[in-house]
Formats: sequence, structure tokens, C-alpha cells
Amino acid sequence: MQKINFILKAYYSILFFRDCKAGILLIALSFILPSVGFLGAVAILTTVAFAELIGIRDAYLKHGFYLYNSLLVGMGVGYYFQITAATIFLTAILAVLTFLLSFTLNRVFLKYYVPILSLPFAFVGMIFYLASLKYTNLLSNILYRKPLFDISLPFEPFFKSLGEIFFLPYNIAGLFIAILLFLYSRILFLMAILGFIVGVWVHTVFVPFNEAYYSPYNFNFILIAMSLGGFFLIANIRNYAIALISVVLSAVLIDSMEVFLNTYSLPVYTMPFNIITILILFLTVAIGYKYYNYYPKGTPEQSLSAFLARNYRFGGESIKINLPFTGTWSVYQAFEGEWTHKGAWKFAYDFVVKKDGKSYKNEGHFLEDYYAFGKDIVAPVNGYVTALRADLPDNFIGNVDRANNWGNYIIIQSDYGYFVEISHLMQESITVNVGDYVQVGQIIGKCGNSGYSPQPHIHIQVQKYAPLGSETIPFTFVDYIQGKRLFYYKLPKVNEEIKASAIDKSIKLHLTFILDDKFKYVDQNGKSYEITVKMNDIGEFYFSDGKNRLYFYLDSKLFYFYNYEGGESYLKELFKIAPKIPLIGVEVEYEDVLPIELRYGKFKTAVMEFLTTFNYKLYNKKSTYRKSRLELKSKYGTAGFSFYEKGFSYIKGKGFELRIES
Amino acid sequence: MKYQKPTINRVDFALASKYGSPLKSQKIKSSIDGVSVNELTKEFGSPLFVFSQKDIENKYNELYEAFSSRYPEVQFWWSYKTNYLDAICQVFHNLGSKAEVVSEFEYEKARRLGIEGKDIIFNGPYKPKEALKKAALEGAKIHIDHLYEINDLEDIADEIGKEIPVAIRCNMDTGIYPQWSRFGFNIDNGEAYNAIKRIYEGKKLILTGLHSHIGTFMLNSNAYAQEVKKLILLKNQVQEEFGYNIEYIDIGGGFASKNRLKGVYQAPEVIVPSADEYAEAITNAIFEFNKGNLPKLYLETGRALIDEAGYLLSSVFASKRMPDGKKSYIIDAGVNLLYTSFWYNFEILLDKRYEGINEPSQINGPLCMNIDIIAENIMLPPLDRQSVLTIWPAGAYSVTQAMQFIRYKPRIVLIDKNSKAHLIKDADDLEYIVEKEVVPQELKS
Repeated sequence: MQKINFILKAYYSILFFRDCKAGILLIALSFILPSVGFLGAVAILTTVAFAELIGIRDAYLKHGFYLYNSLLVGMGVGYYFQITAATIFLTAILAVLTFLLSFTLNRVFLKYYVPILSLPFAFVGMIFYLASLKYTNLLSNILYRKPLFDISLPFEPFFKSLGEIFFLPYNIAGLFIAILLFLYSRILFLMAILGFIVGVWVHTVFVPFNEAYYSPYNFNFILIAMSLGGFFLIANIRNYAIALISVVLSAVLIDSMEVFLNTYSLPVYTMPFNIITILILFLTVAIGYKYYNYYPKGTPEQSLSAFLARNYRFGGESIKINLPFTGTWSVYQAFEGEWTHKGAWKFAYDFVVKKDGKSYKNEGHFLEDYYAFGKDIVAPVNGYVTALRADLPDNFIGNVDRANNWGNYIIIQSDYGYFVEISHLMQESITVNVGDYVQVGQIIGKCGNSGYSPQPHIHIQVQKYAPLGSETIPFTFVDYIQGKRLFYYKLPKVNEEIKASAIDKSIKLHLTFILDDKFKYVDQNGKSYEITVKMNDIGEFYFSDGKNRLYFYLDSKLFYFYNYEGGESYLKELFKIAPKIPLIGVEVEYEDVLPIELRYGKFKTAVMEFLTTFNYKLYNKKSTYRKSRLELKSKYGTAGFSFYEKGFSYIKGKGFELRIES
Repeated sequence: MKYQKPTINRVDFALASKYGSPLKSQKIKSSIDGVSVNELTKEFGSPLFVFSQKDIENKYNELYEAFSSRYPEVQFWWSYKTNYLDAICQVFHNLGSKAEVVSEFEYEKARRLGIEGKDIIFNGPYKPKEALKKAALEGAKIHIDHLYEINDLEDIADEIGKEIPVAIRCNMDTGIYPQWSRFGFNIDNGEAYNAIKRIYEGKKLILTGLHSHIGTFMLNSNAYAQEVKKLILLKNQVQEEFGYNIEYIDIGGGFASKNRLKGVYQAPEVIVPSADEYAEAITNAIFEFNKGNLPKLYLETGRALIDEAGYLLSSVFASKRMPDGKKSYIIDAGVNLLYTSFWYNFEILLDKRYEGINEPSQINGPLCMNIDIIAENIMLPPLDRQSVLTIWPAGAYSVTQAMQFIRYKPRIVLIDKNSKAHLIKDADDLEYIVEKEVVPQELKS
């Protein structure tokens, strides 16, 4: 099965898909011109055989391009020659050569995190072309070749261009691919059309319309638009524009290559697509482009959905730290604060404790009058303590220590690499040593008034580098509570009062699911429904009811669902009812955004996904969730826990109710 | 500025003392929850105990949330002996606290306030059999202190003809000194296990809880982690061996307040653990060691909840200069009201800023007893007659341990959340004090 899968992968990868069914359909399609279908298959099988011979199965299993480049070469041979012993042999030779070139090129490109696309095919294609000039004994069917059947369509050049991607420049192939594109991804479909139109239109500026419209290289426009407008970059207006600008650039490149290469009887093939796309990708990867698709999924729609979920549900790629204290504190200075958070140190937060609007009791003349003085400071991240100082005295009120601005401090290197610095700690209050590993929430010292501190407060900042006083970088807080509301990945404003959430480990016990845990429920009709905990081959855990899968993750402070596969089911409803469950015992209210595919039916989902690419705000539709100690409520229903048992003890939604069987 | 007799003071070269600026060296508290201390003494007389409902509620909520945000089933039981004024108990009961009593008197007092038997924990080494029987009949949670009590309870079980649910009090080494080993059964030497075995074999009592109280004014949260660990391991063991369902563990009280113990150099802000620190240590130990169902967590916190909400207002009655040059003030509250001053150095706060420099002073109470000293060495500016001093924190044990000795006990007020002062106990008078006295007839010749 796995072997069949990677053979299919070669076919569907060419269209930027990730689905076996598409692969089967494309194989079938390729036999419309039998020599293309057959020699393509020969190329793949030879490549697999060679890779097995050397023993590098994993490499080609993981990366589709090891196979699809060979496949394209095989199809290319099939497009020019009939099936004979000699062409089969030639195909096999070229396939292995392609594989070798793919491997080497990939090794080089990998260094820059840029894919090789179909560059090996473009090179080997040239080799094949040049060599075949001498092989006069090979029978070219180029003049008589015909597909098994064809149809006539309007906008023929567009469909033929689509077909050309698979060396099948026929209406029937083009139509078939167009339908496939539309079914799998409206984004790719749109980009294919727009790429074609824009490419041809730009071309007409320089050449007569007919020459542009019927150019055999227009499929390059389509490939560029699809790869940049949806696959390698996250689908949105900005990237659509980048994709179409790239199409514009390629128009000139295609012409120049055509003139130059044809002089030497060389084909242009996908070379312009490869050059333009790789140039763009090189740039976007190098600058860490925000909308680069770092975690590609099955379709551009799915990649977009995952991207939006990361941003709107989980705070995106920003640095996230926990609050460095327990209890309720007020923001004294935020980013770019009016007193000291300036220049290189603008990304910092200061906190004090206030009661009735004042940070001190009595007259505030003594340190112990200040509510913050002596309060615990806890580790905001998991990591190693890299530096600290604890010997400086706490200034009496009205005095500051300008010589030692930072006062007593502690610097922790987070597991993710960045450094967190906390300042103005109480003299000799630090309870950890350099080299200690600290965990979120662990008490590491007490709030004091050392350094440049006019009153007892906590200063916290994130730095890229280790030394004290390094330049600061932006961050957000994982969560905080304001009144009854729980906020995620947000920054409080100056003078706002916020509360750190303490973890209730009993809720964690409820939600620590172990492989093969089974939960038997009875629904409102007395029918039983069983959920089992399972793991897939990349280590993701999910609930399974036999047919559908609901993926979950348990973080140190949060349990959440992040992916659903399947049709309508109680599991799908559970995702809506409890998308995020904070491991917090106190009553809180918070917002979450459900993925589009959960909110709507199939058709509306497709429409909304497509519209979202033009305006991300369409995704950001928040639902409010209210969690009390043992219950989670929202407009979608209620999920409940019992004090003693693991898992959900009941799940109530629209028109259904599951209760655990005791 | 008024004329002051010149004095000679040691020059302090340090710019500042550990926590104070020499420029601002007077500790001032002119009002409590917005009510002027001078007006309070004017209206209710001096001395005067003052309790702040706001302080009580804030402290309770802080402590309750520290635990309840980390643990699903937390219950506080108000330790009556810390302060059993009706109004104070009522504030705690309104907040959701139940009652923890250590004598039949306290038990009756809780019942009088409408607390049901099942909401009372009955602790203590001395529980007369009649009191035990009443508690058993009313379903109170009885925490057994010694083997005699097991016998007594088994007799009562026979008498009333039903099994009595009980808990036992345990003691253990938690790494602190002094170790409280007087109360309950020792876990480390197997005494607690034997007591439970004894209960099991008696078949008349049923064990539902484990209790311990490791000491008072605990400055180390780790001691609680040790306590909980040992209780939980015992719980796991007896659940497994005897099939008991241990519903709760009661970890007693003993959390420190912001009072300054004599002989401790550092300020309370530096050494007293926060509510979160206690809660983190305790709940982590449960999660780490518990097997089977989680137990409910009971706490009998007293001092930490009430100490800082109580103030004793007192007025300067006279001053003199002692032969060694030290200034001596006589105020109207002494050790008769502040028994706790034998082990605490209280904060003494002034009602306003006074002119003049600080000088070494001593504050003496009104008793004609040499030991009646509230503060032996304190730097104070020259105070006037009738200056009001606020002595703080004075909420824990002060009222329950105050003596009617030489002088009448004073009034007590509670300031509610709207800054309104309510009288919650009137002062003694002659009639009240002699009410129970009887003079034999033959002496009345």
C-alpha cells in the first residue's frame, strides 16, 4: 500500500495535491496518450528500483520530487516516441539520471530551504532532446499522435496548456485537470485561470495576440500562479499579487529562453516556471516572509485554514511567555512606556500591585507599605537560568540605584532559545542558581526594589541574546485573566489590572488521555457511542469513533482540539463545544475561533474558504466559552466533567446528549 | 514646635536602615478603611479593638483562590479559637467557611450561630464524653486524638446504635523544629497506622478522613509538602489495605501572618511565604503522591486569615524619661489585651506626623506590673498626651486570649465595607464581671 501511495504521490504532486484518489485519476488520464502513460510509469518504476538498489527508500518516500521529476521525463519521452524496446530503455536511463540529479540538486537547495521543483526534469529534458537528435532509428509519433479520444471546447488554449503539464495537450485532458483542480482547490483553480489570462495579456503587449494566445509555453504561467498563489505561499490577496507579478516576469523570460534554446534545438519546458518560482521562494524564505507556507497541508485551503488557526487561535509565531507572578497585578509600563521603556529596551513590561488605585498602604514611606514588595516571582518560561545577581540592597523609597540599573535580576534561556530577563528583585531572595532548570510557575524569587526602581515592581523583557541589557524583542503573554475574562496571546495596556491564572492539575488529570483509553457513552436514544484514543504515524493523538478523527493536544496550561477529519459526527460537535479547555479551576469566560470547515456545511465551507483568502477577518468569527469548575458552556452546547473520573462525563449539543456509561 | 527637653542620641551613619529612609521615619496610619482612628477612639473609647471586614474578606478570598484555583475541592474551616467573636465568625461563615472547634464551649458557640453539626470539625485532646456523644449524634466531623477517644467513641457507637464516621489526627516529622508530637498519632513510627487498624478491627467507627496540624507560624512551605506527602501515602495505604474511602485530608492551619516574631531579624515581607507558595506546595504534593480518587482538601487556617484585619487602638496617657535617658510612654492597652506581645514585635503606627526627631522609647501598658511592656525599644518622635497609637496586626488570638485583669476589657468594633463602624462587643463593666460571683452568707456579717 505504501509503495502504491508513493507512486501515486509522483502524479498528484505535480498539481500540488496530496491525495491518493487524485493520483489514481491522473494515472488513468495519462493513458489517454498511451505512450505518455506507459513510459511515465516505466520512469517511476525504474527510479524506485534504482533507489531500492541503493537502499534509500525513506528519501523518495518523503519527497515527491524524487519521483515526479523522473515521471515528467518519462512522459516527455512518451510524448515524442512510440513505445518500443529502445524507448523503454532510453526512458529507464533518463529516469535514473533524473533521480541522481534530483538528489544532488536537492542537497544543494536544501541548504537554503528552497525546493527543487521540476528543475531536474528541465535539465534532463534538454539532455534527452539533444541526444535524441542522433537517434534516428527511434520512431517519433509526434506528427500522428492522437489521444484515444478528445472533445472540442471553447478557450481551447487554456485547456491545452493545462494538459501540457502532463504532456497531454488535449482538450479532454485539460478539462479533466480543470475539474480536478476545481474540486480539490478553488484557490488553485482561480490561480490557474488568472495566471493564464495575465500571462497571455502581458505577452500581447509585445507579440501579436494569436502568437501569445496559442503559445505552447503558457502552462508556465499556470504553474507559477498556482505554486505561488496557493501552494508555497499562503493564499491571500497579497500573495495572489506576488504570483501574478511573477507571471508577468516570466512572459519575457519565456520568450528569451525560447529564442536562445531553440537555436540549439533545446526545449523550454518548465524552465521559466522553475527559475521564477525559485527566485521568489529564495527571497521569501531568506527574509522569513510572514505568509510563507511553512507547514503545507493537503490543499491551499487546508494550509490557509491551519495558518489562520495558528494566528487566530494560538497567537501565531510570536514569542509567548507566561506572567512572571501569581495573583493580581497592574501594568505600570507597557511596550514603549513613557519612562524607561525606550529605544533598544522598548519591549518590556513593568507590573505593580494596586489596591483601591494605590500601590501602597498607609503613607507609602516604607518598602513594606508597598503591596508588591515581597510578592513571589515565578518562572515565565521553561528553561535554564543563565545569569543572575542577588546582592544589591533594596532602595528605600525616594532613592534609586543608577549605577546598577537592572538591580537584582535573573536571566532564563527559554527552551525555544530566546532569553527572558526579570529585574528589581529583592535582595538575596532568588531561590535558584545559574544552571538550574526552571519550569513555568516555579517560584524563583521575590519582588523587590533594587536597581533603578522608584517603587517595588517587576520588570520583564525578552531578549534575543544572553547579556544583561541586550536589545529587547517583542512578545505576548500566553494568557491572563481580567475580571472573569481569560485572554490568550494578548498584551494588557497601561494601568490595566490582570490576574495570572494558576493551573488546576486535577483538570489536567481529566484530560490526560492515554493510547487506547476508551470512553463509552449513551446518546439520547439509548444508543451507545464509543470514543477511543489513538495515535497516527506522525505521533498526533486523536479521538476515534471508528470513522471520524478528532485531533487533540495537551499543553502545560491548555487542552485543545486542532483538526477534524470525517463527516458529521458527535466528535465534530465535541470540537465545537470544547475547542479549547484551559486547565484553570476558577470560573472564566474566553473566546475561540472555530475553523471554517466546522462552522458551515460542505458547500458554504468551500465558498467561505475561498472568500477568506480575500479577507482574513471572515475567518475571525469568535465564539464565547464559559468554563466553571466542572463544566464548559457555549452556544454550541455543554461539556461536563466529574470530580473523580477522567474524560468528559457528558456532552450536550444541539439535539443530542451523550452521557458516560458508568 | 513645642519645647522638648534635650536628649543625646547615637548618630546613625548609615543612610538608611534596612527598609526605611531616614527622611521619612515615622510610620503613620491615620485611618482604618477610611474611618479616622481619632474619631473611632472618640466615639467608642480607648483602648479599642477594631476589625476590618474588607481586610478579612480580601485575605480570605486571596487564600481561598490560591487553593481553589489549583485544586477542585477546597473547604476552609474557621478556627474558632483564633477569634470566636460572633460577628467575626459570622463574617467567615458568610464567606463559605465552616467551623473548626476544640472544646464543647466552642462547639456550642458554633451551634448557637446556626452551624449544623456536619459543618463542624471537632478537634482537640480533651473532648468530654458527653460532648463527643452530642457531636456524634449531630454528625460532626470528629478528629480522634488518642486511643482513649477511640474507646469512648466505640462506647458511644454502641449506645446510639450506629457506625460513627471519624478522622484521626496524625503527627510527623516534617523537617521543622519544634515538631508538634503531642497531638494525635505519629505516622513515622507506625502509631497512626496501628490506630487505624484498631479502628478497623473495632468495626464500630469508620475512617473517612486524615488530619494533621504541623505547628504554628510556619515559615517554610516545604513543611506542608512533607505533611501532605505523608498523609497521602498513609491514605493510599489504608485505602488499599482496609478498603476505606478517605474522603478528605485536613492539613490544619499554621500559615504565618505578617506579624513580626521576636528574634526574627528579617521583615515579614521577606520571610513569610505567600498564599500561592503554600498552595502550590500543598496541591503539588497531593497530585504527586495520590493514588485513586482525589481527596477533598480541608484547611483550618486561623491566624493568616484574621491577624492582619485586627487593630488595637490605644492612647498615650502619660510619658516620662527614665534614668537611662529613654523615653517611656504609658498607654491604656497592655499585656492584659495583648498576651501575644510576649512573642511578637508589633507595628506601632502613629495617628499623624509629629514634629521632632526620633528617639529611643519604650511603650508600657497601664498595668501595675513590671512585665507590662508592649514595645521595649522603638524609635518614636515626641508624642502628645492622647496621641492615638495603632498596634497591628492584632486580629489573631488577641481577643480570645485577652484577660480581664486589673482593667475592664474594652469595646470591639467591626468596620464594614461601607466604612461604617459597628459595635460588636461592648466593654465589660462591674456588673458583668461580678455577675457570677457569690459571697458566702457568713462573710456578709
